[in-house]
Amino acid sequence: MIKGGKSLVSSPPVFSNDAKKLLVCTGCTVSIFSTSTSLQITELEGHTALVTSVVVVPAFTPSSKILCYCWTSSLDGTVRYWDFSLPELMKTVDIRLPIFSMVIPGILSQLAETDGKTPNLFAYLSVENTKIQDDQPKVHRKILKCNLTKSRLAAGVILAETQQPELITISSSGKFFGVRNKRKLHVWEVIAHDHEGAPIKKITLHHTKNLTVFAFHPTERIVAAGDVTGRILIWRSFGRRTFSMGDGLMNGRAMNNEDERPGVRGDDDADSCATWHWHSAEVKVLSFSSDGAYLFSGGKEGVLVFWQLDTGKKKFLPRIGSPLLYFATSLDPSLSSVSCSDNRIHLLKMPSMEILKSISGIKLPCSFPEIYEGLHSRFIFDQTAGLVAFRTENYCIQFYSLFDDRENFEVQICERNHQPSDDVTVVVTLMVLSPDGSMMSTAETKFPEEGLGGLVCLKFWTSGSQSKGFILSTIIYEPHRDAGISAIAFHPTRHMAVSSSYGGDFKIWACSHEIQQRDQTLQNSGWTCHAVGSYKRKPMTAATFSADGSVLAIAAETVITIWDPEKNVLVAVIGETLEPITMLSFIGKSEYLVSASRGSKSQLSLWSLSKLSESWSYKLQAEAVACVMDGSYFAVLTLLPRSSKHTELTETKIDGRDGAILLFNVGEPIPVTTWFVKKAKGGGLAFIHVNSASFKGNVSDGKLPPALLAYINGNHEYVLFNPYNLEAHEPSMVVREKPVGIEDETGKFGYASIYGALPEFDAKRNQTELAPLLPSEKPWETIFCGSSHNLPPITKLCSAFLESLLEKRTPVISD
Amino acid sequence: MAEPQQALSRTFPVKPKLKAKSKKPSKTPESKYWSSFKSHTIPNLISSITSLSFSPATPHHFAAAYSTSLTLFNSKTLEPISSISSFKDVVSCASFRSDGLLIAASDHSGLVQVFDVKTRTALRKLRGHTRPVRLVRYPRSDKLHLFSGGDDAVVKYWDVAAESGVVEFRGHKDYVRCGDGSPASSELFATGSYDHTVKVWDVRVSNSDAAMKINHGKPVEDVIFLPSGGLIATAGGNCVKIWDVIGGGKLLYSMENHNKTVTSICVGKIGRDGGEGSEQYRVLSVGLDGYMKVFDYSKFKITHSMRFPAPLLSIGFSPDCATRAIGTSNGVIYAGKRKVKGEVESGLREFPSLGLMEEPQRRVLRPSYFRYFHRSQGEKPSEGDYLITRPKKVKIAEHDKLLKKFRHKDAFVSALSGKNPENVVAVMEELVARKKLLKCVSNLDTEELGLLLAFLHRHSTVPRYAGLLMGLTKKVVQMRAEDIIASDVLKGHIRNLKRSVEEEVRIQQSLQEIQGIISPLLRIAGRR
Repeated sequence: MIKGGKSLVSSPPVFSNDAKKLLVCTGCTVSIFSTSTSLQITELEGHTALVTSVVVVPAFTPSSKILCYCWTSSLDGTVRYWDFSLPELMKTVDIRLPIFSMVIPGILSQLAETDGKTPNLFAYLSVENTKIQDDQPKVHRKILKCNLTKSRLAAGVILAETQQPELITISSSGKFFGVRNKRKLHVWEVIAHDHEGAPIKKITLHHTKNLTVFAFHPTERIVAAGDVTGRILIWRSFGRRTFSMGDGLMNGRAMNNEDERPGVRGDDDADSCATWHWHSAEVKVLSFSSDGAYLFSGGKEGVLVFWQLDTGKKKFLPRIGSPLLYFATSLDPSLSSVSCSDNRIHLLKMPSMEILKSISGIKLPCSFPEIYEGLHSRFIFDQTAGLVAFRTENYCIQFYSLFDDRENFEVQICERNHQPSDDVTVVVTLMVLSPDGSMMSTAETKFPEEGLGGLVCLKFWTSGSQSKGFILSTIIYEPHRDAGISAIAFHPTRHMAVSSSYGGDFKIWACSHEIQQRDQTLQNSGWTCHAVGSYKRKPMTAATFSADGSVLAIAAETVITIWDPEKNVLVAVIGETLEPITMLSFIGKSEYLVSASRGSKSQLSLWSLSKLSESWSYKLQAEAVACVMDGSYFAVLTLLPRSSKHTELTETKIDGRDGAILLFNVGEPIPVTTWFVKKAKGGGLAFIHVNSASFKGNVSDGKLPPALLAYINGNHEYVLFNPYNLEAHEPSMVVREKPVGIEDETGKFGYASIYGALPEFDAKRNQTELAPLLPSEKPWETIFCGSSHNLPPITKLCSAFLESLLEKRTPVISD
Repeated sequence: MAEPQQALSRTFPVKPKLKAKSKKPSKTPESKYWSSFKSHTIPNLISSITSLSFSPATPHHFAAAYSTSLTLFNSKTLEPISSISSFKDVVSCASFRSDGLLIAASDHSGLVQVFDVKTRTALRKLRGHTRPVRLVRYPRSDKLHLFSGGDDAVVKYWDVAAESGVVEFRGHKDYVRCGDGSPASSELFATGSYDHTVKVWDVRVSNSDAAMKINHGKPVEDVIFLPSGGLIATAGGNCVKIWDVIGGGKLLYSMENHNKTVTSICVGKIGRDGGEGSEQYRVLSVGLDGYMKVFDYSKFKITHSMRFPAPLLSIGFSPDCATRAIGTSNGVIYAGKRKVKGEVESGLREFPSLGLMEEPQRRVLRPSYFRYFHRSQGEKPSEGDYLITRPKKVKIAEHDKLLKKFRHKDAFVSALSGKNPENVVAVMEELVARKKLLKCVSNLDTEELGLLLAFLHRHSTVPRYAGLLMGLTKKVVQMRAEDIIASDVLKGHIRNLKRSVEEEVRIQQSLQEIQGIISPLLRIAGRR
């Protein structure tokens, strides 16, 4: 089983002390990337839920720079201490509350080391109190203090309560830390010799808008905060009255001008408050440079702004292409990183603001305006190469290797500049790969402005050299006049494709290769229209070729039309569904065709081409359907219906799992296996062929499975597992269950409507029984064999014999 | 990992939509050769060009017979040199002697005259035909005799010096229209007649029977011997036929690619300088359908085809492959001229000699010379050199720069004031994608609106842009109606627009009519 596709930007990344490694929270692990190659080195595995923060123990002497220790906190309620060079888990502190953020001020100040004995190490945690849900329904997110040395929470210390789980921000000296709480900013001062129950001083700074992010100046008492409208507030000399101790210089000129505090609201404890405004939307990133001369800010525009703190002058790093989320500085002043919301971390070379390297994760799902209900559009899989492709916001398609868990390449589909704050007016609506992965077809739609200038565009691509990227081969403007394209399908063997449109026609495209004379090596190949067809002017909603390419099936709303793609002749029309069909697929090389329709009466049907009729159908909302290329299995990802009778029954078991993967054999309508999965909405499913070169996973028994089933959930996390090996390891994201009968089966179609329902299958039957049982070994034939002195005593024989008789009869009874 | 720098710094300028490339296969080397003749029209000749003949001697002037005159043209400049107009009737045919000094011409009065090319004086008058003479031809090498044929169906063989007929052949039953002397023997010649036959005569056999008779099947318009002398090409009706003379007049191939009567054929040569495919002969044929076709008689394939806007009557091809001339029925000669390499080389030959003179005087470069600092800057890379090229500078158009700064209206106006309508439409499409087009339109001032209206007038009915521009025109007129009423200039634009719309409506109507005619036919065709 292979997992991957984790978000790299769920929490801020942290540099190691020598700035050669970058620690990134990826799901329930911490991945460590090399900053010089931007490839993953190792992983810290141990947490069972999302890791929310990483704190690297800083080094104060050059010799200790190689030390690689870090603390991590996670939603599973533990704080763990690691040596991440090995990597090895060294300590676990269990506080049993989901931790959203953690800071450890003690390790940041050098005082801790100068003492003879190591004092207690305290961490401040932002937790959610899950235990007392009934008493305090609203406020149960708190900031707590935790003694890490003694592995316990400091009793009775609740620093603040917030509505939302908040990120705790700490100054680089470890002197102050704070959280934002709506329009307020709480700042605490850490006293030098911390002990449990020590009084912590707190000030609060106010603002009129919701604050989003803030940062402490590394040396001075300056705090900068960003708000939702894009303003940046700079409070200078905050906490002068409250945190007066130990800062003699500040204290000296403190009280002179009591009433001259420009910009400071009300009774806040600060000298002045300046406002800078450049960002047009929410500020998401704020960070001071390590010498405190510059402030970095960023937001939705995807522009990193460098403010000179004294003058307020700006420099920009534009065109990052995606909203910024985090900015991390390292101890090496020339290296920092910026995390973008497209799941990418850029490593910046500092003074020149160049991007050195990028660490690209799987593209996170982004909201596209769904103009057409399509099933094919979200993911495409290259079944042989083990690639999955996603649409990205900047009109690209990212090809991501499922086996290697990293990005392979990106293909720019529309040559357009992308600004993250733009309205989406051009959408890649469809993408299809040919079965051998050598050709790709995409469809894009440009939305009209008040009925002007809309455009549908079909593009054909051929794979480039060394299977890196795709090269545009043909553009077809308005292939079906102005009607949108509903589906594209490639011929399995030949250079042929079909595109169906909502405008009521479909076109078969053929690629003509014109190999020119030997002196002109240029190979001119283009796709041209080969044939046009329509059926009663009905919108064509789905299309597919059979495995040998001799049959073309096209769904004309509720019926399936079968065509001969060569002669463009209508061969047959099959049956009717209740809702327009959105997905059609032949199952392997069999004569069966599976169709899925969506809507209020969504339906999954299997059609037999030999009988030209429906075999069976379920009332299921299928999110994705995947078929084995050679074989008779197919898998369906379905959303569990809300009003299922089983909700009460299985609620505790299913928790959070809103979908199921059903593996069917063509022959029978009962799923062979069922898995329940989380976040199935917007998920995808495919069978991935395994070749030994690409498969480095855990093959325990030495032989490779014929195909792995890949499941991608709505957050683009994926898992690859062997669907046939039923006793396999239980994935945590995917949980296999006994098939809880889908009793919403609509048994009233076709055969059933005429002849009545077929005998109900036993919903509670155990899955292992469904698996084809080998005939029991017939002990009555063997136990009496052999020479008589070898025979066991008669008492043993008798019981074995009787047992075998009993076993033999069981299936008879159950039938 | 993707290359981050590239990913970030890329900007895409707005690009017009791609045009469909023609599916026509790119030109073969041969058709490239044939279209390398730079076309040149010689207009305003009075009547149809009945005959074109090239002089066999360099510089290969050619004579065009039209109306009652015969004009000599320079094949290099395609300018008329001299004109012979001492004919009483329409000149039908002309033929140079093998040395190019004399030219024989026949006219409809039945007279055949022999002129000195230089002085244009008629040296001999050959009387004997009673009806218009259509054919006069010198044999390929014989300088003393010529043969002629006419509407009296008689072919005569003349002794030019004595002005007397040597032999008369009375084998044809209809008008004799054409003929050619054999390249193999000057005593052998073929004539074609409207009685569908081509007859090969031998003057040594004085009985009136032909040495060979070929039935073309249609009235023969032209006949030529192919350069080997073993093959004859005949033209008549809409076909050109190739016959094997040595094999007893066997039909080898019939080329039927013309739609109308083939009026004239001649032998052309691919005179490419050396290399593969040079010195190959082709049959060039012209017809009343306005096509000139090049026929490769070794492969029996049409290798090139060219259309002219008038019925073609005659064709000639110069022996040095530099000029071809085609005469039409309405007094225009389409001459084609091709640069011959040998000629260019001869021009160049003079320069090296000059260079040789200068070479020894070239001084050794020293740092005190200015040229010293420029030395070897013009050096060309040699074969094995690794070239480091300067990164190409991206040219950003004015409207792209403005679009980058989000100055949408300025970008729009800048594109409009440019010349390329493709760019304008591309900018419009980009503005649509940004949802700013209508805003831009509403912000235009009167002058810029005039620019836009003029553009719409010119291009809104172009099929490629119509989808966007027609809708836009409507919107513009709706949105800016008040401004348009206020300004006279804009009203003028609107009038123009109206006119183009009316014209488009007319076109659409006639197209629909055509569709109405065609669709039943297609229905019927589809039923079969």
